[in-house]
Amino acid sequence: MKRENKISKFTEKYFPYILEAPALIIIFILALFPLFYALRMALHETILTNPGSHPFAGLNNFREALNKDPMVWYSLKNTAIFTVSAVSLEMVLGCAIAFLLNRKIKFQGLVRGLLLLPMACAPIAVGLVWRYMYHPDFGVFNFFCSALGLAERNWLGDVSTAMLSLVVFDVWQWTPFIIFVVLAGLQALPGEPFEAAEVDGASRWQIFKTLTFPMLAPLLIFVLILRTIDALRFYDPIYALTRGGPGTTTETITWYLYKIGFKFFNMGYASSIAFIFLYAVIILSAVLVAVLKSFSLEEGG
Amino acid sequence: MISVEKHHFNWNKVGIIALIIFVVLIFIFPIYWMIITSFKSDADILTRPPTWWFKPTIKNYIHAFKHANFGLFMVNSLIVAVTSTIIVVCLSFLCAYGFARYNTVGRDQFMFFILSTRMFPQIAVVIPYFVLFRNFRLLDTRIAMIILYTMFNLPFAIWLMHSFIKDIPVDLEEAARVDGYSRWRILRKIILPLVAPGLAVTAIFCLLFSWNEFLFAFLLTRTRAATITVGVSSFWTQRGILWGPLCAAAAVCVIPMMIFVALLQKYIVRGLTFGAIKG
Repeated sequence: MKRENKISKFTEKYFPYILEAPALIIIFILALFPLFYALRMALHETILTNPGSHPFAGLNNFREALNKDPMVWYSLKNTAIFTVSAVSLEMVLGCAIAFLLNRKIKFQGLVRGLLLLPMACAPIAVGLVWRYMYHPDFGVFNFFCSALGLAERNWLGDVSTAMLSLVVFDVWQWTPFIIFVVLAGLQALPGEPFEAAEVDGASRWQIFKTLTFPMLAPLLIFVLILRTIDALRFYDPIYALTRGGPGTTTETITWYLYKIGFKFFNMGYASSIAFIFLYAVIILSAVLVAVLKSFSLEEGG
Repeated sequence: MISVEKHHFNWNKVGIIALIIFVVLIFIFPIYWMIITSFKSDADILTRPPTWWFKPTIKNYIHAFKHANFGLFMVNSLIVAVTSTIIVVCLSFLCAYGFARYNTVGRDQFMFFILSTRMFPQIAVVIPYFVLFRNFRLLDTRIAMIILYTMFNLPFAIWLMHSFIKDIPVDLEEAARVDGYSRWRILRKIILPLVAPGLAVTAIFCLLFSWNEFLFAFLLTRTRAATITVGVSSFWTQRGILWGPLCAAAAVCVIPMMIFVALLQKYIVRGLTFGAIKG
């Protein structure tokens, strides 16, 4: 009896491993091997245009990136500016529009269906369309600006508006995501506390501050994390809209990495910057996850 | 301006509806403009101020498909996206079932590790891939793209499938076990049919991500295995941007995915949050 139990337990234990192995092996090989390979490149002078000789460089690449290259810090700063402004705008607008839509209206399905569309679009494809819309001469933005009596601008070519134009694009594409998450959160809220508060004569602002917001907070922080990680990786629209310009105004760390790796083919140096970037992303997400845990998300994100 | 009464808000309904319509118009305007522009002639595209009424032409679409290899790139995208999606859905279903029903060693750590690989900035991992693929002579091949998109989508798919399998009550499997079903048979005959909608949702998301992906495709392919997003960007030529064909190509790239996403409406939040929030 006991032995039979042991055997069945043994097979029971193996069955899930058989199921999980193929996927995990693929992920491990394809995610970890390149990472080690990148580390190897970062420790050598891996410049692809010098075939054959890639001498060992120790930590030189890292030292160069951290101490001697102002572009690393400059592009990290641009990434931070972009991420903070885009994500905070998306959160505020997304919440506001979700509250606006959270009521019984006609054509609700249609409204939501239309709001979904920006998210479906390949960023590079709509990014290039936006480049046309931002065009100083033929662009529709300048048409609206002059119709509203505002000054026309060279949106992507002007140092003062290039970053803003990227932010506006990202806000257009990803605010709907926040809208849908917040709507899902609002609809999952329990009814009773709100009815009780209304009976007690609480104002709308009081209800929002003491009930709605605390109940939504874990959800909001969770999407904040997702959006932040995505915004840090922002690349396609930069390629479509500004290509880092004018000058280096919109060079984020992703763009700088691309330049070092694929314009100058200095893969060793690029890898070392990539590790610094990766490290920053990991630290940042660890901090955000710690914040999230302090809010105890029940749904297990 | 706003006087709050006891039980209803004093914003009048018309104002709210007008505001909602305004918001929706802002969000769909760029898509509208892309489609409109794709039917404009060059003369209508390059006017100041932009024209709103014009004589439509399909010249841009013809040009788009004649240009370079846009047709081939589209076929490449289809092959790469569909193949990697099939692999990802099969593997993630098995893996997610294992994770959902059995507490294997280090399960939670594995789950978070695989999620973190998905969070890696693509530009950071594309560099070693470039050198590796170059050494293995895999640059500019569909196989390389299939491998990459499989790796890229697997973590996401496992998490999403995991959330769908968790929704199926365990009682069914236990009852089947009592009836003498083998584990494989339970998986095939009981779980698979019940989780079919989840498989479909996962598959559509994988298709969407692979179809829309640009960075890997742009940096690791050149002419033979380039995908549709690279095709769209190729209308930014050395001699300038061909706006009309560009918008036509962008529309061809974007419209199938918009239809998919509209079908997914119910699951979009769930998919984009890796199954964590059940919209």
